[in-house]
This record gives sequence, structure tokens and C-alpha cells, in this order.
Amino acid sequence: MSVAAGGEAVSTETANQVDTKGIVVGLVGIYIAGIAADAGIPYLIFLAGIGAVFATKMGADAVRRVCSYGIGTGVPSIGMLALGMGLISAMFGLALGAIIGVPYVGPIVGLVVALVIGFIVGTLANKVIKLNIPVMERCLMEIAGAGVLVMTGLAVMIAGSMDFAVISEKVITTGYIAPVFILGALGILHPFNASLGPDETQDRTLVHAYSVGAIGMTIAGVCSIATINPIAGIISIVIGLAIWYANFMGFVRLVKRDAGAGYVGTGLLPPGAM
Amino acid sequence: MEPAMGMGLVALMGAAATVAGCSEDLESDIGSQSNPNSQVQLAAQVGYPHRIFNKAISGEPPSNAMYCAVGAGVAMMLMSESVMSASPLLAIAIGAFVAALLNGVFSTTAYLGRNASQTRFNQYVYLDVLRNQILSLMGHAYIATFCIVGLSYVLWEQTLIGHPFPFPVIALIWGLCVGAIGSSTGDVHYGAEREFQDFKFGSGLNAADSGNITRFAEAGVRSSMDNAWFCSKFGGPATGVAFGMVVFLDNWRSTAFAEVLNGWGAVLVGLVIVLALVIYNRQIETYARKKYGPYPEYAGDIEA
Repeated sequence: MSVAAGGEAVSTETANQVDTKGIVVGLVGIYIAGIAADAGIPYLIFLAGIGAVFATKMGADAVRRVCSYGIGTGVPSIGMLALGMGLISAMFGLALGAIIGVPYVGPIVGLVVALVIGFIVGTLANKVIKLNIPVMERCLMEIAGAGVLVMTGLAVMIAGSMDFAVISEKVITTGYIAPVFILGALGILHPFNASLGPDETQDRTLVHAYSVGAIGMTIAGVCSIATINPIAGIISIVIGLAIWYANFMGFVRLVKRDAGAGYVGTGLLPPGAM
Repeated sequence: MEPAMGMGLVALMGAAATVAGCSEDLESDIGSQSNPNSQVQLAAQVGYPHRIFNKAISGEPPSNAMYCAVGAGVAMMLMSESVMSASPLLAIAIGAFVAALLNGVFSTTAYLGRNASQTRFNQYVYLDVLRNQILSLMGHAYIATFCIVGLSYVLWEQTLIGHPFPFPVIALIWGLCVGAIGSSTGDVHYGAEREFQDFKFGSGLNAADSGNITRFAEAGVRSSMDNAWFCSKFGGPATGVAFGMVVFLDNWRSTAFAEVLNGWGAVLVGLVIVLALVIYNRQIETYARKKYGPYPEYAGDIEA
């Protein structure tokens, strides 16, 4: 794969596998956490965070595929676009759930709306602006879908409920939406952006996505200490830190593998470089 | 609020913003984020492997917004009555510390990942480069985050200025702002001035010279610390003054002229400030063009 020249990214895990894991684990985690918290058991909210971690990975893989066509400095822009679509869709889904009186439809409605918005934006980019990137529509749908699942997952972690009124009171009015929004965005953007270069490998980028997603989960756990329950928050923090540590060390191991003999403690520039 | 108290708070916020802007710019210079990053990123590809810290955390505005939003979120959690009602100063210090830790993690992964992705160009991953720079990156990020979260607290607190937005959202907006200003003001000093200081004014920039930014320092091979030394003489303070002026002038006009013409006084003063700055900038530009260019020997375009 060549980032500079552009072209289809080489993958060991196919897009369908990543998407399936992201959507299924994301939705299941959010639903178990939301239903358990509504039933009076807030200690399972970390499952929504785990859902958000898998959704982050799905978004990071989509960023990787679309950006391998030479988007370059557009990587951050595309992630902000994604989280914008994600935030609107997530809030629309949750609000619709509150309006019709069935809060549990919120995440699924939000996901569907995000996929539709992503498809429209992707079609506009490809057909009207004529970017002509073959994977554009699909990748923007995936990024927007990942944005919804990350936002909803972390918001449910902080609010301890899927009810829009509770999320509005505990996440939006308090302002915890700000770290949720920006950590969700950086979780989707940073893995590929930090591995930019022609020797980027998919497994390294995706391990990194897990670790950045776990940072978002940990910070959401910190915020949930104030909003739900200190014990539930500390459980989320410990699990988030454990996921982060395992994947961070995995990332360093893959860096050693990919850098090969170039992974040195210190030294002069390579021979011939001056 | 008493007018003297209001002006004191505005001055305090301006001072905090000046420190934050300077520190933020030096942080991004040590890490080669933003403006110089594309040159550092391309250097190995055009045959210049280097020992410069190469990090990009999704662009400077989002990364600084993240540090500030996380710092404010943690501080808000500590200050809330359901947790420990911590004193604001302590809570902001702890929040900024958490943000600095995030800076360390994101910078480490960016350095390791980007250099490992350029193996085919003979670019090594130097662990001593990582160890030497990471603490100064985190230190500068801590100072910047502390100041911005602090000024956001002054802006948000109901007994002080009492802005209607929530505390972390204000911090997010000021974080975006300082990142954008650092990226457009101070980083140009590193990305353009540091690299092209031996080129004649107006001579144009050749893409093949891009990798030069990583080559020779005043003594030996250039390192990221040399860039911090160079930029602390102009780029960092310029960013600090720019961001301090944005915070000070904006809050000054909305505090001092809030009652004039039913609130429209603040809007009019804002327009006057913007117009004055546009005219002043244009004068500096024309002055520099007249004074330093074109070359005396310029004799029209040379035919190919």
C-alpha cells in the first residue's frame, strides 16, 4: 500500500468483519449497559464503553481505507465531519425515543439516520464534487455510524441511562459532552493519523484504535463518578485502563516488528543519510 | 459586578492566555506539529532521515481542544458536590495533569507509529529522542492546559463572569482557539522562518528543500530542543501575545461596553477592533514588501 501514491489499502481483517464486530458489539454493549442501569444495576455501564471501543475501531478502519487514497491532511477534517454527523444522529435518535416514549429505539434510530446521512454526504462528495474515490460512500457511512455508536456509548456511560432527559441533564447540561465529543473524534482519527506513512499496517493501526478508544472509555468513567456512582465509575476506569495498557503494549510490540532493525535506543543517522 | 473587579478578571484571563499561548506554541514546536509537520513527515521520503520528534495528533486545534476539555471535565468532576467539592485551583491542577498524561500517550504513539511507517526510507525509531522530548512536551502541555482551564473557570463561574455555556464546553472552545492561533502564528516561525532563513526574501520555495528543516542546527544535527530554543525567541511569545490579545480584547469589549447602546456598543467596538487590525496588518505587509523586495538583480522572468 502506498499512502503517497494512493490506492486501495491492504487489509488482513476485511471491512465486513470490522463493521460487523463494531456494530454488533457496539449496540449489544450499549443496550446491556442501558437496560441494566435502568433496572438499578449501574455497575455494568462499562459495557457501553467496550461497545464504544469496538465502534472506534470500526471508524478508524474506515478512516484508514478512505485516507489511503491520498487525502493526507484531510484526515482530521473527515473525522470531525464524522463526529458532527454522529452527534446530530445520536441526539436525534435519543430524542425521538423520548418523544415516542420508547427510549430503547434511540441507538438504532441514531445508527440508521447516521448511515443515511453518511451515504448522502459520500454521494455528494463523489458525484457532485467528483472526488471519485470508490470506497467514499461506504466509508463515510461507516465513519458516521461509528460516530453515533461512540457518542451514544460514552454518553450512556456518563448518564447511566438511555433516556434522553437523563442524558440531556447529566451529559449535555453539565458539559461532559465536550470531552466525549473530542475523545470520540480523536479515537477515530488518531490511529491512522499517528501511523501515516507507506509502511503503515492494518493490525498496528487497529490495535492503536482499541487503545485510544479505551482512553475515551476511561475518561467517561472518570466523569461518571460525579454523575452516577463512584463504584460504577471506578469499575469503568479500571477496565478502561486495563484495555488501554494491553493494547498500548501490543502497539509498541508491533512498532518493533514493523521498524525492524530501525528500532534503536540511540544512535547517529543511518549511513549515507548526511 | 464592580467594574474594577470585572476589569481585573479580564486582565487575569488575558495574562493566563498569554502564558498558555506561548507554552502551547513551544509544545507544538518541540513535537513538530502543524505547519512544519508536513516537511518533517516528508523529509525521510526526500532522502533526509532525521532525529526530530514527529507527532501529529489530528491537527493542533483538535488536540488542544482535547487536553482542555478533558482537563475541564476532570476538574468539574472533582469540584462537583457529589464527589469531593474540591477547591477549584486543586481541581484544575489535577485536570491539567490528566490532560498532560494524555498528551504524553498520544505523542508517544504518534512518534513511534509515524517513524515505524517510514521504515523503507531508512527512518529509524530513536528511543532517546522519545525520552528526551516527551517530558518537555508534557510539561508545556500542562502549563497551557492549566492556564486555559483556569481562564475558562473564571469565565464560567457564576460569581465571577457567569458565561451561560458549561465549563468543559468553554474549555473546548478556548482549546480549539489556542490550537488554531498557535498553528497559524507561532508555527509559521518554525515551519517557514527556521527552515528558510538562509533563502533570500521572495525567492520562492522549492519542494525539494522541504527536508532541510531536519538537517543542521547551530551545532551538529538538529534536534527538537534546538527548535524550542529558536522558537522561544519569537514564535512562542508572538503566539502568546496573539492569544492573549484575543482573550483580553474580546472580554474587555464585552465587559466594558456591555451596557452601552443596549449591548450593541460591544458589537460596534468589536467591529472597530477588527477593522483596525485589518488595516494594521495590511500596512505591515506592504512595508515588508517595499523594504525587503523585490531583489535588486531581478530582471523579469527567465525563459526556460
